[in-house]
Amino acid sequence: MTDKLALSRRDVLARGSALALGLGAGAAFAPGLACAAEMTAGEKELYEAAKKEGELTWYTAHSDDVTAQALGRKFEQVYPGIKVSVVRTTAQVAFQRVSQELKAGAMQVDVFSSTDIGHYVYLKDKKLLEKFVPENAAKVLDIYKGYDPDGFYYVTSAGLIGMSYNTSKVKAAEVPADWTGLLDAKWKDHIALGHPAFSGYVGTWVVTLRKMYGWDFFDKLAKNNPRVGRSINDTVTLLNSGECTIAGTAPNGTTGLSIQKGNPLAMIYPTDGTVLILAPSGIMKGVRHPSAARLFMEFLLSVDASQIWVDHFNESIRPEVSPPPGVKSAKDVKTIRPSVEEITKGIPEVIKQWRDVFGV
Amino acid sequence: MSDDTLTIAGAPANGFLRRLDPSMVLWIVMIALLIFLVASPTVRLLISSFQEAETGRLTLENYRDAYFNWRHLAALGNSLELGVGVAILAGLFGVPIAWAISRTDMPLKGFVRIMVLGAFITPPYLGAIGWILLAGPNSGWLNKLWVALTGQAHGIFNVYSMPGLILVVAVTSFPYVFVFTNSALDLVSSEMEDAAQVLGAGKLRTVFRITLPLVFPAILGGLIISFLEAIALFGAPALIGLPARFNVVATQLWQFFEYPVRVEMAAAFAIPLLVITVLMFWLQRRILGRKGYAAVTGKGGERRMIALGAWRWVMLGYALFVCALSVMLPMTVLLQAAFAKAWGRGFSLDNLTLANFHYLLFEQTQAQSTIINTFVYAGATAFLAIALSLAIAYVVSRKLVPWSNVLAFLCVAPFVIPGIVLAIGFYAAYAPPPLALYGTGTILVLAFTTRFLPIAYTSSAASMRSINPEMEDAVRILGGGRLLAIRRVLAPLLKKSLAGAWILVFIPAARELSAAIFLVGPNSRVISVMLFDLSEEGNFEVLAALGTILLVVTLIIAAVGFRIIGRDFMLRRSTS
Repeated sequence: MTDKLALSRRDVLARGSALALGLGAGAAFAPGLACAAEMTAGEKELYEAAKKEGELTWYTAHSDDVTAQALGRKFEQVYPGIKVSVVRTTAQVAFQRVSQELKAGAMQVDVFSSTDIGHYVYLKDKKLLEKFVPENAAKVLDIYKGYDPDGFYYVTSAGLIGMSYNTSKVKAAEVPADWTGLLDAKWKDHIALGHPAFSGYVGTWVVTLRKMYGWDFFDKLAKNNPRVGRSINDTVTLLNSGECTIAGTAPNGTTGLSIQKGNPLAMIYPTDGTVLILAPSGIMKGVRHPSAARLFMEFLLSVDASQIWVDHFNESIRPEVSPPPGVKSAKDVKTIRPSVEEITKGIPEVIKQWRDVFGV
Repeated sequence: MSDDTLTIAGAPANGFLRRLDPSMVLWIVMIALLIFLVASPTVRLLISSFQEAETGRLTLENYRDAYFNWRHLAALGNSLELGVGVAILAGLFGVPIAWAISRTDMPLKGFVRIMVLGAFITPPYLGAIGWILLAGPNSGWLNKLWVALTGQAHGIFNVYSMPGLILVVAVTSFPYVFVFTNSALDLVSSEMEDAAQVLGAGKLRTVFRITLPLVFPAILGGLIISFLEAIALFGAPALIGLPARFNVVATQLWQFFEYPVRVEMAAAFAIPLLVITVLMFWLQRRILGRKGYAAVTGKGGERRMIALGAWRWVMLGYALFVCALSVMLPMTVLLQAAFAKAWGRGFSLDNLTLANFHYLLFEQTQAQSTIINTFVYAGATAFLAIALSLAIAYVVSRKLVPWSNVLAFLCVAPFVIPGIVLAIGFYAAYAPPPLALYGTGTILVLAFTTRFLPIAYTSSAASMRSINPEMEDAVRILGGGRLLAIRRVLAPLLKKSLAGAWILVFIPAARELSAAIFLVGPNSRVISVMLFDLSEEGNFEVLAALGTILLVVTLIIAAVGFRIIGRDFMLRRSTS
């Protein structure tokens, strides 16, 4: 342990740029070095700078509140002395708050994790994102690498959208095999959906299905009078309570967590493809806690974070972490995913179309 | 020589300063604050409704975009339907109970009163969550009960509908009608009723032709408040309207804050709420202005309770029915959910857990600070609103400055500004630089203060009127300054009524959602906004737990306050 510690400190010393900081930090923070021992030099440098800032604010739409808070708590545990405020909302609500902050010229958020890739395309275009290349960015699975070649945002989580059903109300033999099964009149009044004007997951889902089956699909779906909530996670509640029996937008992660708790749910991975969502994170320009924000980006791409994602039934983005046996992940099912351009252009369009058909 | 000129130049200034009461400075500050809080955001709202977003040029486009859209117009229509529906239902709930408590020998009056207080304290969005658990079309308790009892395939209640929303809002807003009507009835003496009965009118006829018409102004006031509350509400319509597939003005306004933020269009769309409100008050004046209601003299002759006979049990049944709808049923299911692993599993021991509270208090990174923020802001709001309104009431009652009536008007003006509209005005005026208050606790406290200033002012002005200026004059004759007179004479005299006003501001400030929703930042979150964010996922167990914390803390603070001042929530002495 001490050996490793000494090594890492020598390592820090070896790099000229970190000399002063490393020395000061080594002396000042000697007690809390248990986990600092495993840090790389760059990470350690960030950590010391971040500790001076003491906190950061994270707007996230990547998961349900429980998972988001678990990630925040893990960060606080790995990097003691930095407090994270985790604000979990749907993607469009998070972006609404970011827009309000931009308009008011009072940036509150440090790290912004939306599930609508269009947000990043827009923010980058308007030069509102801070460029930062995390060390961990090169260590993720290939599919998640280099989402933005210019280094303004990175995929920090991924998840699947399938369908799900309440097993105490519906028999496995009755459930649809593919998405078009939702149009069957037997599901009338029993379908739960999220809302594309709130959830980035649902927005991407609508764009994907519109591409596959045309908008006609949603005109027909509306005839089945689905219950429209806001977050994609809301469908889990609606099924658990028995309010609905089948979810047209079922998040693999939150549904899995709920099954683990003993709720009578089961996932359907449609034969025409489960929608794969790659959800990015980025640092806003001019944030109040730039170092803490960078450190948090490193954390989101770390093994620790992937472990939490997997524990909460989402995808791992690191090769070191694999899902527990029996849990399906993206490589076990046929996945579909629209291109970045299709999503960026498509989500504002489908929100309009959605409101015309569903009224809200 | 130069010395001389200095003295000459200095003398009048000195004289002026000497004449200038130091308290004048305080008044000027207070007045400036009032303009800052009330006039500036409202004017700013009006101006920006005519401005182009990027350039600030004058335009009518915001109005065109806001109104030439059938969905937006439908929202306006829905708001009116909601407002009228709520006012009618609140009247049907509030007036009979007020009459029964004030004029009849209905039993269990104390209990009914406590229930009405409970309904008054319950925020509409919590009531809405309770009713979602009760009357969700397939999973609601009432529907499950119905299916179990009748053996039919489907339940009969659907909270996700306009009638559902009207009921949910009415059960939390009928206390306004109740309070207004009840207070007025308490002042009507039995003489007129006796006269009617002597002339051969029956009991019912007396009630409808004599008693109720006498307190019509109060009833109308209560109905108008219920109507206005309903059309300005954001939380309950957001929870119920969206699944029911309709928007109201407040939820539509919220949509204008989606990216790209269209504050100008929101401002334009908010104007009808303002106009309707002003119109309502004008209408009230017109209706009441023509008739005399002098029978309510406040002096009151003898008041006797009407003996209802067997009917008193019917009356009690109705009162309990309303209490069940407003408090007992929703609170039971909320508490069940707050302590449940999964609310749908029902009332059983193995479903009991403290995990939801543990999650909020120890695992959630924000809940602790959010809970603290809520009560700190509400407390600060109450202090600020009372300090300000007391100062203004003093200035007005002692006529210390010219145009003091304008000040009084500014203090009660926020009454006609719906919370969500006020928030848009505050956002437009104070969120950007130079003040850059967005996301701070300050802007929330300022907005809440403005919103609840009318409550504080009405209370302060009333107590100020009750104090004869002679007592202060005595202090001043003996050489004390005005501030000393206020500190040592006025303040002690007003202590109790100010404490009452503090609670009346504190309760709504602790639960305010619509004024907070556009102003809150990650470090200034309050429980109402957190509830709204959590509600997106429909996690009712955690939502209910957070709502329980809000209600319990509010109740404790209110109870301590009422105990200290020895009065109940309508500020009537508890001994009576």
